[in-house]
Amino acid sequence: MIARDSIVEVVEVRAHPLPYFTLVLDGPRELVATDAGQFVMLETADGLEPYLRRAFSVADVVEHASSARLELLAKVVGRGTRAMAAARPRDRRRLLGPLGRGFTLPAAGPVALVAGGVGSAPLLLLGRRLVARGIAFDFYYGGRSAADLVRGDEFAALAAASGGRLVAATEDGSRGVPGRVTDALADELAAGARYRGLAACGPMPMLAALAPLAAAAGLAAEAALETEMGCGFGACLGCAVPHVAGRFALCCKDGPVFRLDEVRW
Amino acid sequence: MSAPAVLAVRLGPLALPNPILTASGTFGYGLEFAHLAALDRLGGLVTKGLSLAPLAGNPPPRIAETRGGVLNSIGLQNIGIDRFLADVLPGLARYPARVIVNLFGYEFDDYAELAHRVDPYPGVAAVELNVSCPNVKRGGMEFGHDPALLERLVGSVRQATSKPLLVKLSPNAGSPVEAADAARRGGADVLSAINTVLGMAIDPWTRRPRLHTNRGGLSGPAIRPIAVRMVYDVSRRVGLPVIGIGGIETVDDVVEFLLAGASAVQIGTALFRDPRAAERLVDGLAERLGALGVASVGELVGGVRAWDEA
Repeated sequence: MIARDSIVEVVEVRAHPLPYFTLVLDGPRELVATDAGQFVMLETADGLEPYLRRAFSVADVVEHASSARLELLAKVVGRGTRAMAAARPRDRRRLLGPLGRGFTLPAAGPVALVAGGVGSAPLLLLGRRLVARGIAFDFYYGGRSAADLVRGDEFAALAAASGGRLVAATEDGSRGVPGRVTDALADELAAGARYRGLAACGPMPMLAALAPLAAAAGLAAEAALETEMGCGFGACLGCAVPHVAGRFALCCKDGPVFRLDEVRW
Repeated sequence: MSAPAVLAVRLGPLALPNPILTASGTFGYGLEFAHLAALDRLGGLVTKGLSLAPLAGNPPPRIAETRGGVLNSIGLQNIGIDRFLADVLPGLARYPARVIVNLFGYEFDDYAELAHRVDPYPGVAAVELNVSCPNVKRGGMEFGHDPALLERLVGSVRQATSKPLLVKLSPNAGSPVEAADAARRGGADVLSAINTVLGMAIDPWTRRPRLHTNRGGLSGPAIRPIAVRMVYDVSRRVGLPVIGIGGIETVDDVVEFLLAGASAVQIGTALFRDPRAAERLVDGLAERLGALGVASVGELVGGVRAWDEA
């Protein structure tokens, strides 16, 4: 669907606990057509401060009465996200979206979804879409400690509903296997796990580590990237992503979902 | 009920349906945003800076928000003048907005060559010379900081095109009035003021500058008073119409620039937070002129009641 600018209303802010939170919004019904991996630009506070909107991938969207009920899953990292977490029910904000190119839905499973921390956001919507299509997935969820595996039980239930499972990995060993999520995936692949595709979102170092892993396993792999973003619709050219074609792609228009083998890591 | 205020303005040889334009580098080539903004409502559209050859731009990070502003270092990523003229300009013909082509050169001769290529196209209403970009290693800003060089550069472009000629001034060095006067002597018709203000931001935890080029250009409300002062000085001291640029967000801001001496304004960074910011200001300005009982935009231009200066 074509992106449009609309007014959305805050339904609630759910802390997971902070700094992680889910912002629940009601917006125009058309937003239910959002693809997993697409994002929105949200005015984080009333007025001019913070000045720019912030980009958030859509974690979930369902039809609700005559509206779309939208969930954005985020972490408080600066002024914009702090303002978002402080939003009150019935606050109104401008929201532009849906924007960008989402994940390619695989024709058949099983697939591996790999998330680092709050990078899990777009993979929640992707997971729901996969379940709806009857495609099984394993959800690899990594973070520093158990608290970083936000909404982990929900992901576990979703993976189970698809016929797959949750593989948790924490660097401090407080949940799942100790170590990095990329190592957990490598171990599973070495032990014989086979996937038809891979979708990821998380910190750049995690994605950079995934790229050779996916290539070696011959997996069609995509990742939703996060960059600094000025406008979200291709005007400011601020969100450059180094591309193997020797140029810069724009995260907001050419992405945010890229094939792992088209990014210069 | 009095007649609606006249929004149309004339800046030397350049006539515009209203005084609200989009600033270079903040709205691409216009067409990409036809679904997000009403291009037909704009007074004019200034393209992203175009060079002879396409440019890939600077490595990321290219943009960082600061208090009340945005720091950028895009590095003039653009598709090149020839592709613009062949592929983009025809699509803009169906909109009444005047298309002003922003030109950028690495070498002295690039500017005249660019103007020469643009000259035959009736869809181009004017050219704006970017002699003030802070984000490229050579060219651009260096031409804008040396009045004698700027006069010759503008003169060379004047020879290459009969289109209305705008020169975009830098706030970053020297005297803006001297640069503006040099542009006038070279044959400029209109002055655009200002380009971004050189700035820098550093992440306190990583100790890394927040832009890959370390320094960048600051835009947004944070620079507005600097721009208002430059428009005020340049419009009073140099006998050319001025287009005010710098952090314009509200109708109050537009009126402020008009009072300072601008005959029109360009909206830039505000478009990033609201792609309809410019058209909202067209409506807002019409309403404001009505409320003020002013018959035309021109009545406000230079209308500041300045205090006596000792």
